[in-house]
Formats: sequence, structure tokens, C-alpha cells
Amino acid sequence: MSESFDTHLQELRRGTIVLACLQLLRTPGYGYGLLEELQHHGFATDANTLYPLLRRLEKQGFLTSEWHTEEPRPRKFYSTSADGVRLAETLTAEWTALTSAITSLSDDTPTA
Amino acid sequence: MNTALVERYITSTIRSLPQHIQDDVRAELTTSITDAIDARTEQGEDPETAERAVLTELGDPAVLAAEYVDRPLHLIGPRYFLTWWRLLKLLLTIVPAVAFAGVALAQLIAQEPIGAVIGESIAAGISAVVHVFFWVTLVFAILERSGADAGARWDVDQLPEPQSTGVGRVDAIASVIFGILAVAVILWDQLRGFVRIDGESLPILHPQLWPWWLLGLITLIVAEVALAIVASARKRWTTGSAVINTGLAVVFLSWALMLLGRGRLLNPDFLDAVFLDTGVGPDTMRILGIVLAFGIVGVSLWDIIDGWLKVRRGARR
Repeated sequence: MSESFDTHLQELRRGTIVLACLQLLRTPGYGYGLLEELQHHGFATDANTLYPLLRRLEKQGFLTSEWHTEEPRPRKFYSTSADGVRLAETLTAEWTALTSAITSLSDDTPTA
Repeated sequence: MNTALVERYITSTIRSLPQHIQDDVRAELTTSITDAIDARTEQGEDPETAERAVLTELGDPAVLAAEYVDRPLHLIGPRYFLTWWRLLKLLLTIVPAVAFAGVALAQLIAQEPIGAVIGESIAAGISAVVHVFFWVTLVFAILERSGADAGARWDVDQLPEPQSTGVGRVDAIASVIFGILAVAVILWDQLRGFVRIDGESLPILHPQLWPWWLLGLITLIVAEVALAIVASARKRWTTGSAVINTGLAVVFLSWALMLLGRGRLLNPDFLDAVFLDTGVGPDTMRILGIVLAFGIVGVSLWDIIDGWLKVRRGARR
């Protein structure tokens, strides 16, 4: 696909990762595990975008984190905070509204 | 597994991060990278290849570090770019010219050889350009990083006013009046004299300029007025008008500077009577001469530039 397609696709996808993370982290998760989960759900994400993003969301108070040191490999687990849940709900509502807006664009029978 | 590579990658990533998050990022990144390498080796990949692939995917550590702390990867971003650019354009039109002229004036007064005068003035002009560029950019780069407000917000009132193209009737009338006055002053000076000392009239301009040199000057003035009238009738300045205007200014410039340089512009009797006899030294006279020459050059240059600006404004209509 052409390069100009790529930039537009990236623009459209930007922001969906945040929503996906907030939803997935309602059950606590850690960096690499989350990356795999996102890919499994069909969100093409780069590690170098995801890891700093988690930290930013934590700093903004939408995620909380906790070190699990009892495992052989210490892992930092993130989970969505109450604020994060509210943000996720707002974003989901917006996404739904956009979906119906987009659908209405290609409706063959215009509703007067 | 060559963990030295991972170690080096992480160290160069966290190096530029704030102290208090360094250890945390190191621990988390170590786990994440090891997880990713493990996932690849479990697929049967050779550990060293897996490691290289994972680190390559993560990319330049400096970019990753910038992502971690939300640091801009540009010198001046969209928030300040236009303010920076407008200020830079404004200063670059003023400062280098002032530096050039100032140094040239000082060097001439200090009686430096002409080669040194030209060299020093050009050097001053160029270094002014470099300085303006550097300092303005530095200030804006700091603003960009400190997140301060440059206080420059656009609003509708800033839209440029419709500019006068300088070809209205008023301009033509002003030009005619100025021309008549100038010719009258020249003639009065030669035929009657403004200054009377001991009942004798002294022309300010050199008496030997009469008649041919002064008639030449009057012709120039008439031509300049005619140009203004033609432009006003056509309602715009053409490139041709600007070329003729430039030519007239250059002729005037050489006329004035040549006469001034040979000491034949001003009446020596007048200078004696007004300046030397009243105790003004020859050194001061020389400086006054240089300042007068600068004034003549400045006015002529402005006249040339103004002509071309009028063409440009007319073209934008």
C-alpha cells in the first residue's frame, strides 16, 4: 500500500491504543503481556509506543501500577484506575458515535 | 545470550531520563525486552538474532527516551514557529542594515582606508545576521522546552490593512508640490541666496554648478515628478517605472557623491562663513561631510527600494 495510505491509517489508529489499553487493563497486566494481548485483539502496536504510553497514562492518573516481585522475573503490573474507567467510557461512547456517523455517510437512503 | 547488548541499550535509554525514574524504567524495560527475546527464542529463533531483532524493533534509544518524558524532538514546534519566523524576518530587515551602516560610518570617520571600511562593514553585517539568527532561535528553543507562553495569539484585527500602493492621486500631487519646491529652492539659492553676510548673498550650493550641473539636477527632479504622474494615471507602478526610478536614483547618487567628494557640492565661501569662521574645526567638517554622504546614500537607497515595493504591492492586488 502506498505511503500516503500509511500516514492516514496511522492518524486514524492513533488514540485507539489508549482506549484498548484502558479496557484491557481493567484486569491488571504488564508491558510485554499487554503488547501480545493488543496484537491478539488486532491492534497493531509497537513496543516503543506502548511502554512510554503506559507510563504517561500512569502519570496522568488513568492507570495505577504495582511491582510483582514474587515471580522469578519482577514485573510492573498496571491496572486501570477509577479515572481511567471513566475515560474509557467516554472514549467508547465517542467511538460508538463516530461509528454511526461514519456509517451514515455511506447510507444509500438518506434520512431526511 | 549477549546481555551486554541489552544492558548497553537500556543504559543509553535511561541516561537522559530524570534521576528518580531511571531505576524504575531500567527494571521494567529489562523485563519487557527479556520477555520479547524469550518469546522469539521459544519460536526456535537463535538467541542472538532474537536479541538484535527486539532491540532493532525498539529503535533509537534517544527517541524512546524522548517518548518516556514527552520531550520534543524538534527545535521549534508549531506553537512557536510562526512567532519565531515573524520576529526573525522583522529583525533581519533592520539589524544587519543598521550594523553595516553604523560600522561603515564609524570607520569612515576614523579615516580607515576604504578597503578596511568595506571589509569591516560587510563583516559587521554578516555577523549581525548570524547573531540575530542564533539568539532569536535560542530564545524560542528555550520557550519551546519550558512551555512558556510567547503571548502572541492571532486575532482578526491583525489582518493586514489594504495597503496604499503609492499610486493614488495624493501621491502624485505630493510629488509635484515637492518637485516645485525643490526647483524653487535651488533657483532661489543660486539667484537670490538664502544666506546674507555683510549684505552679500551667499549661495549654499557651489556657484560653479550653475547653470549646467544644476539644470541637470532640475531635469532629474522633473523626471521623478513625471514618473509619479504617469504611475498615478496608470493607477499602478510597473516594473518599467521601478527600473527608471532606480536609474534616476543612481544618477542622482553619483551626481551628489562625485561633487561632494571633489568638494564641489557646497559653496566654500558659505562653509567658511558659517562654520569655519565660527570655530568649527576641519575635522568636524569632514565628519559632517561623511554624515551628509550617508544621508544622500540612505535617501537614494530608500527611494530605489520604495519603487520596487510599490511594484510588488501593485502586483498583489
